Amino acid sequence: MLYYDFDWSVLWRHPYGGMFLKGIWTTVHLSLSAWMIALLLGLLVGLFRTLPIRGARLVGGAYVEVFRNIPLLVQLFFWYFAAPSLFPRDLELWLYGNVNDLGYWMAIIALGTYTAARVAEAVRSGLLAVPLGQYRAAYSTGLSGRQTYRHVVLPYALRVAWPLLTTEFLTCFKNSALAMTVGVLETTGTAGYIDSFTFHGLETTTAASLVYLATSGAVILTMNRIEKRLHIPGLIRRGA
Amino acid sequence: MIEIRHVSLWYGDGRKVVDDVSAQIGRGQTVVICGPSGSGKSSLLRCINGLERFQEGEILVDGISVRDPGTDIHRLRAEIGMVFQHFELYPHLTVLENITLAPRKVRKKSKGEAQDKAMELLHRVGIPEKALSYPGQLSGGQQQRVAIARSLAMEPKAMLFDEPTSALDPEMIKEVLDVMVDLARSGMTMVVVSHEMGFAKEVADEVIFMDGGRFLEHKRTADFFASPENPRTTEFLSRILV
Repeated sequence: MLYYDFDWSVLWRHPYGGMFLKGIWTTVHLSLSAWMIALLLGLLVGLFRTLPIRGARLVGGAYVEVFRNIPLLVQLFFWYFAAPSLFPRDLELWLYGNVNDLGYWMAIIALGTYTAARVAEAVRSGLLAVPLGQYRAAYSTGLSGRQTYRHVVLPYALRVAWPLLTTEFLTCFKNSALAMTVGVLETTGTAGYIDSFTFHGLETTTAASLVYLATSGAVILTMNRIEKRLHIPGLIRRGA
Repeated sequence: MIEIRHVSLWYGDGRKVVDDVSAQIGRGQTVVICGPSGSGKSSLLRCINGLERFQEGEILVDGISVRDPGTDIHRLRAEIGMVFQHFELYPHLTVLENITLAPRKVRKKSKGEAQDKAMELLHRVGIPEKALSYPGQLSGGQQQRVAIARSLAMEPKAMLFDEPTSALDPEMIKEVLDVMVDLARSGMTMVVVSHEMGFAKEVADEVIFMDGGRFLEHKRTADFFASPENPRTTEFLSRILV
């Protein structure tokens, strides 16, 4: 016999319903912002790792190894608890005094820079899949290095990397739950917060899980649709 | 038009790929280079448009040095078309986009102007109906003809062909060679790395036999086939001319 008094209304009852929606919304813009950083930085770092310039490859490689191999939680704590004290004293005081959602911003930085290392690896694998002949063909028509990357190499490489990027985006989205450890009330944090008032953690955790599942599902559908549109006839075999 | 002076090329592992070769290719001439694989033919071809950096010697295209750091290599390459063994069409672009990319980005032609020229070239190589197809939807022979059109779209002064038919099925070789013969007859300066001796006999002014990075035989076409001097040439010819 289960002695648990279900009360699903904690999910929509005032004031919890509003909190929950706000939490979901926070998850969305937090992970999207982090993804923007990850995508731009990851593109750059991935590109660096494939350039025929030793220094660039070293910098890119170092970035990936550092950010990929330290647990995200540790990185998050670093940005939130340690990084500000490395700033000039005035800036540190100003940050703690004036930015009351510091956890939110630091979570974006931590999640963005961490995911960038993983995006960089996806981009690198895509770039390495571009045959040497494609560069030669482009250069032979007089295109510059920049034009060759912009019009020939990157469009090719990103198509190859696309499935990996989808996975990384989903991971980024789910990793955003860690932001609760630095006080951000995103979906997971809010679920715990409502539980602490109502003792209905089963309902709130279930709801949070469903939110992640549904959002991931929507993301996968969208990315697959884009993947189909980007599909190159005769180049990459598409799974059934 | 193309002047190759004592060019030598080593790869990173110390292997000498091209060993002190010289040649002059006049405007409107077609020169065929043949020889066993690994003899340095393709490497030499890539030296001509600066895709490969050689350590010794000099190559001049229309009097401009390929090697000189002061040369705008991109500008020079725009003047020299190149066709590859594996076509190397851009798979994410349509046939029309493949042909118009460089004219638009390098020559700054308008989209309409570039497309008109592209369609004219597609007519010339015989596949205007494939303009909106993607490379992956074409046969090898069709892809190679598009690749030729893509090079011609830059209105080059010379064309380099790197084994243009060796990745093709026998029945498609002819359609590509026909386009090349037509091009040679129209007065294009061409350097062709190929084992198609029929093509060489038909349009080449000179034929070169290359082995071990050197030119072992370099003669006017008729003499090359009638009286080759080097025993390696004779042996090679006897093996590929069945």
